[in-house]
Amino acid sequence: MILDLHTHSIKSDDGRAKVENYCKWVRSKDVPIDGFVLTEHRQHDFESDYSALAEQHDLVILKGSEVETEYGHVLVFGVTEALTEAFDFSRIDLPLEMVLETSEAHGAVAVPCHPGRPRVGMFAHTEELGIPQGVKIVEIYNGGSRDNEDKIAIDNADELGYLGIGGSDSHIVSHIGRCATAFRQDIKTMDDLVGALKSGEFEAVTFKH
Amino acid sequence: MPINTLSDVEFGEDLPTFVPDTSLATGANFAKLVGWDGPRFTDHEAAKKEGLAGAMIPGILSQGYLIAMIHNWAPPAEIITVDTVFRAPVMADDAHTITGVVTDIDEDAGTVEIDLTVSNEKSETRVFGTATVRLPT
Repeated sequence: MILDLHTHSIKSDDGRAKVENYCKWVRSKDVPIDGFVLTEHRQHDFESDYSALAEQHDLVILKGSEVETEYGHVLVFGVTEALTEAFDFSRIDLPLEMVLETSEAHGAVAVPCHPGRPRVGMFAHTEELGIPQGVKIVEIYNGGSRDNEDKIAIDNADELGYLGIGGSDSHIVSHIGRCATAFRQDIKTMDDLVGALKSGEFEAVTFKH
Repeated sequence: MPINTLSDVEFGEDLPTFVPDTSLATGANFAKLVGWDGPRFTDHEAAKKEGLAGAMIPGILSQGYLIAMIHNWAPPAEIITVDTVFRAPVMADDAHTITGVVTDIDEDAGTVEIDLTVSNEKSETRVFGTATVRLPT
């Protein structure tokens, strides 16, 4: 099962894609994914219900978040109301180690994304700030990153023993599915996804070229 | 073949790729005409002194190119919105291409939505966005 773990809709300030149009695009263009996770910037969208769209298009549609830390951006899967009360998702200077620890304590999984990018990627900061404790998974394929930025992510993840996921980081409809993550097991819910990420049984895939 | 009516449009169709004139001379002339006569648009070396990689193309000129691209594809199109996110500057004297693809057709409203991407020669996305345009039914 292949899921794009990093997408943005019009709920994000820089997102320009309607979720319905993502669904239409995936199906009409035979994008090789079975679903996607909406990871809106600096927030968690508790309100939107995409279950009807998911059913109509036979796609898995889940909701995570993308928060911002001193090491760059971080995807969070398994967000609960309690987690959003534990730290302020809207801040742009969250301490990464706190995000990782707190997410884990709430049963969620936090994953630094596009870590090979300047400024917003974790490996741009490790020389100055050191290797953060608690990272287990990073996004090694990102649809918005340049190839050399993905290579930085892959090389550093290899060196540090991190697992890798993939996500398109799509902000417009036609960019969905450029990168994704392949799982061995079926995933229908966020609990399934969190369990699969914790099991380590997944592989990042890219369809960029 | 140019698009004249909504029924000519197919979901997922690519607009013809557009190559914008991103020369420094054109960008500088445009900047002067609109009163943005600053070195960041007119002089590579002066722009570098401002901390930029070089002179860049004014954002509203890039938006104009997006509209030109849409009108090349569909001359009667009425542009309702062009909503852009500038991820990185469009650098003057670097070659760029603009691609577009139809991502939604609303037959009731007579509109189509188009994804737009401005990329440089390294295939780096510099600007992306969407446009909503109305076409005769």
